[in-house]
Amino acid sequence: MHSLKKEMQILKMKINFTNEQNAFRDEVRTWLKSNVPETPLLSLDTKEGFEQHRQWEKTLNQGNWSMVTWPKEYGGRGLDLIEWLIFEEEYYRADAPTRVNQNGVFLLGPTLMEFGTHEQKSKFLNAMATGDHIWAQGWSEPGAGSDMAAIRTTAVLEGDHYKINGQKTWSSRAAYADWTFGLFRTDLDSERHRGLSFILVPLDLPGITVRPIPQLDGEPGFAEIYFDDVKVPVENLLGGDGEGWKIAMATAGFERGLMLRSPARFQQTAAKLLELYLANQDHCSPMIQAKVVEAWAQSESYALSIYHTASKMLAGGSIGSESSLGKIFWSELDHMMHQTALKILGASAELSQESQNDAAKWIKGFMFSYAGPIYAGTNEIQKNIIAERLLGLPR
Amino acid sequence: MNFIFTEEQIQFKDTIKSFLAEECTPASIRDGWEKNKSFNFERWKNLIELGVLNSNLPEAKGGLGMDQVTLALMVEEMGYAGLPEPVAEQIFLVNDIISFLPKNITEAVESNYNDGTQYIAFAHPLAPNPLFLNDAAGLILLNNSECNFIAKDDMDFESISSNDPSRELFQIISMNKVISASENFDELNTAVSARGALMTAALLIGLAQKMIDLSSVYVLDRTQFGKPIGSFQAVKHMLADVAVKIEFAKPAVYRAAYSLSENNPKSALHCAHAKFMCAQAAELACKNSIQAHGAMGYTWEMDLHIYMRKAWSMMACWGNEDRQQDIIFKTLSSASEELGVLYTF
Ligand SMILES: Cc1cc2nc3c(=O)[nH]c(=O)nc-3n(C[C@H](O)[C@H](O)[C@H](O)COP(=O)(O)OP(=O)(O)OC[C@H]3O[C@@H](n4cnc5c(N)ncnc54)[C@H](O)[C@@H]3O)c2cc1C
Repeated sequence: MHSLKKEMQILKMKINFTNEQNAFRDEVRTWLKSNVPETPLLSLDTKEGFEQHRQWEKTLNQGNWSMVTWPKEYGGRGLDLIEWLIFEEEYYRADAPTRVNQNGVFLLGPTLMEFGTHEQKSKFLNAMATGDHIWAQGWSEPGAGSDMAAIRTTAVLEGDHYKINGQKTWSSRAAYADWTFGLFRTDLDSERHRGLSFILVPLDLPGITVRPIPQLDGEPGFAEIYFDDVKVPVENLLGGDGEGWKIAMATAGFERGLMLRSPARFQQTAAKLLELYLANQDHCSPMIQAKVVEAWAQSESYALSIYHTASKMLAGGSIGSESSLGKIFWSELDHMMHQTALKILGASAELSQESQNDAAKWIKGFMFSYAGPIYAGTNEIQKNIIAERLLGLPR
Repeated sequence: MNFIFTEEQIQFKDTIKSFLAEECTPASIRDGWEKNKSFNFERWKNLIELGVLNSNLPEAKGGLGMDQVTLALMVEEMGYAGLPEPVAEQIFLVNDIISFLPKNITEAVESNYNDGTQYIAFAHPLAPNPLFLNDAAGLILLNNSECNFIAKDDMDFESISSNDPSRELFQIISMNKVISASENFDELNTAVSARGALMTAALLIGLAQKMIDLSSVYVLDRTQFGKPIGSFQAVKHMLADVAVKIEFAKPAVYRAAYSLSENNPKSALHCAHAKFMCAQAAELACKNSIQAHGAMGYTWEMDLHIYMRKAWSMMACWGNEDRQQDIIFKTLSSASEELGVLYTF
């Protein structure tokens, strides 16, 4: 029997911040304090609000805050994931505006970093950082939702360009965005996951029609995109022709796993929920208290888990199908928290006008929390992935 | 910030895992049930040799001075194997609190437990019936205001049966000679309750993992409608739900253990958080694992209930989910400005 009693030095894990990390936090906080607009911006799903949010992206860029993990040459600071998490914590704490370019900075950015050519990186990352290119995401089609491999929009190579025909839908931000990235069928004889390519498309090209779709809150948060003989230069292909699925899965991994929903967002909601509860405790039942505690406990766990994942990645690991676990967790948590808030609000939970107790904000968040279990791959699809890839059950 | 285990920590975890896979099989656990003797001295002795029982005693006392994170990782494996012997208890409730005990109690414990190798039982309002008291050299008993030590020969007790046959419980009838102390009682009690919560949390996460592993194997094997039942989505989703719960309970355990090792003033909150998350995960693991097994899961014959019974006990004692919720709420409402985004670590 192997004995544990052999000479070994017990190195400890370290889960608190270093002095440098704390100094970085202070720097972020100070900058945000003097730069976050005092009056909240208009909704980013209105034309005017969208431009205000673009302006905010530019302001962020002037402070070099677009994406702290990117290399300096692309407008970043060359920092690590832990520092990014710190940045996010301060960002949510400061109630800073929603990142209108999150499809770009959080999803396409890391994908470009991994699969882009040098030219693509310098062209797209810099324009993304400056807010000159705001990105939409074009996977879904009317016949390809959960079953993304059923994509039918075609991109046919003709000399130095692809000719695109078909339709994308549910494309967030597309109503006002400048570019979209998406998956297109470049091999017309191919089926399912094969023969798809990842192409970057400017939305102002001739032959493109964007039709905004009003969401549950009445605003055009997503849109349909129609392609009618749209010519896109071949240098807009990311990775190899036919490699689109593999690249898209990497993007989806960033989306579900880490980037799209950093923990600070949910911790901030949990903290606000606690505040709301403490102010209204007298007319709430113990059941509500249990939910408020659960909100804190789960958002805390989500944060711990993400720091754990980030530490593993820094040590050379990668996120695989585990990202599906997180996607389910945060989306269900977000919904539970908003539902609880509405219960605390009592009768004012139907007021969509700004009021003292922020009812309108909670309601807006409440409605959006219904989308979490759907976008970025529905939670049912994530459960299939968990069962098949992590638990080893048959397809 | 480096929330990651060291190679040494993983190695300790793996060592104990492979030891228990060999030495603590379902058959050996059932053997203990049949003989009405779940405390297996042979295995206890081997665990002593392996260095587990005194692993967190100071080096001066022959231990390895192991930190709580490594202990939690090892205890998780004890849960996974459904280890009947009170090793987790000895490590967390005796070795790890010895520095908090009043001096006369420390002396009494130390003269009885032979550097961690003689078992000392524990009784506390949150776990009032001491485990394997007839196999113990003595008992540490915390009531609501003082800490006591009673040597085995100085008390009378009788057995009281647990729903988990691996847990031989006792109740005390009379005590003849009691060593008592009440100094620093609150501090001691907080330290004990936190360790009880963390210990049961770590055991529960291992137990939940075991249940889902057994279920994943079973649903591959059992066929209905001409296919393995694991190919049905309703079954997949039940197990996936458990996997999600486990994934997000684990880091709470590691953080709580880390907090104890750093004497973080919030460690009581962190331990309550760990138990809260793990109890929820284990509860769902029990429910969905039985369901995935169908009637087989409802039999004595199937091994699943070995782990389920232990999980039920671990959920109940050392503060159940409801009690942890209460602790968390009290802390949140008294110091809400110090919790949330910036105060995770
Ligand atoms: C707010 C919002 C923003 C979005 N933004 C974008 C975007 O920017 N770009 C983009 O491309 N898409 C976007 N989407 C679309 C999103 O990716 C799809 O809605 C999603 O993939 C599901 O597809 P679907 O809507 O066609 O639903 P369906 O695929 O029709 O699913 C309907 C229901 O059936 C279930 N279901 C389907 N197949 C299975 C299966 N195999 N097993 C079990 N259950 C199944 C689903 O889980 C769901 O509950 C967005 C959606 C929302 C709500």
